Amino acid sequence: MKIRGTVAAALASAGILLAGWQTGTQVNGISTVASSTTATGTTGAGSSGSGSTGSTGSSGSGGRQARQRPPGSSGTSASGTYRGNSVQTRFGPVQVQITVANGRITDVTALQLTNTDGKSIQISNRAAPLLRSKVLAAQSANVQTVSGATITSDAYLTSLQAAIDAAHL
Amino acid sequence: MNAWELSSASHFRWTPPRQGSRTPTSLAAATAVVERLFRDLDETFSLFRPDSEASRLARGELTLPAASAQMREAYAEAHEWRLHTEGAFTPERPDGVLDLSGIVKGHAIREAGTSLLALGRRDWCLNAGGDVLVSGSPRPGSAEPWKAGVVDPADRRTLITGYALGANSRHNAIATSGSAERGEHIWRLGSGMEFVQVTVAAADIVTADVLATAIIAGGPRMLDRAADEWDVAVLAIRADGSMLATPGFQPA
Repeated sequence: MKIRGTVAAALASAGILLAGWQTGTQVNGISTVASSTTATGTTGAGSSGSGSTGSTGSSGSGGRQARQRPPGSSGTSASGTYRGNSVQTRFGPVQVQITVANGRITDVTALQLTNTDGKSIQISNRAAPLLRSKVLAAQSANVQTVSGATITSDAYLTSLQAAIDAAHL
Repeated sequence: MNAWELSSASHFRWTPPRQGSRTPTSLAAATAVVERLFRDLDETFSLFRPDSEASRLARGELTLPAASAQMREAYAEAHEWRLHTEGAFTPERPDGVLDLSGIVKGHAIREAGTSLLALGRRDWCLNAGGDVLVSGSPRPGSAEPWKAGVVDPADRRTLITGYALGANSRHNAIATSGSAERGEHIWRLGSGMEFVQVTVAAADIVTADVLATAIIAGGPRMLDRAADEWDVAVLAIRADGSMLATPGFQPA
């Protein structure tokens, strides 16, 4: 009895480790499939509490992406493949393609993964036009510091002592 | 006119988090260390101090091989950046005078940050002349990032956008260069300046500062190069107010 329990626990943690390893190496930030698998694995197995290292962070980005996914697949029984936008995550750019048959997702493919190959970064980090109205709308007035180009002045560094802002201390 | 922008008194700001449990004594000590560091660097690198090492180099009274280790290291670093940016960033003025202004500011902020960490301070935001380096979080122990605003070059009282630094962000530093600085340490390459203001967020302050300067000088080509080869976020603003941004600056 006890032995069987131990074996089960060992198998469970091996599974978790494997899932964690998959997510960890292959793709830090990745696809919905991988992260949700990991999540289920962890909760289902319960016990050991070991393993599941790198898996957590990824689920957020994966989920967000999935939601943005199929344009116009609402309601109707759509079929076809849909390619999502490349999404910047803290692990790097991520892009996913899904295959839908009769309104059901049948396959999810990661088209663009993280930093494993420089090329994808190269393409995805390029600058694109940015609409001012869009930025202003997204902006939060709540900042702690401000970055701006300095207008040159002729004060010396030594006058700096008087300038340390006591108000913030 | 000033050799490096740090010297502008009103542009230096160090903001420890509000909810820190620091004692005033250690805060004062940390502030004193940073001030001292900036003062020492100014004495070495300011081209507006006739007696500085940089001025003696500029006048030819001193040669680089005979200069201090600190000066030679700064020059070597600046020269490396010139290679990496294909000359968009350079430590020499068109007249051949050695001018490290473009890198000394970043260097000073980096050194100050190292000192603050060495003093055991983990959560802070250091702003010198509009260039910012942070560590940790404004709420120590939390995952809350520092939020830095980016000035609108058309109206410096307003912000165009914000960027999260520190905490879980890959980037701890943000620097902004403007074409108004031209003649100080930015010499344009090729025809006309495309951008009036360039902001770069990076893991470290020297990279952010140097690349912002390089993109002002090198235009869209340098912007693409920076986005391709460094882990940076870039926001570049043209004279007509239109903007280019890498994904890091695009609203979610």
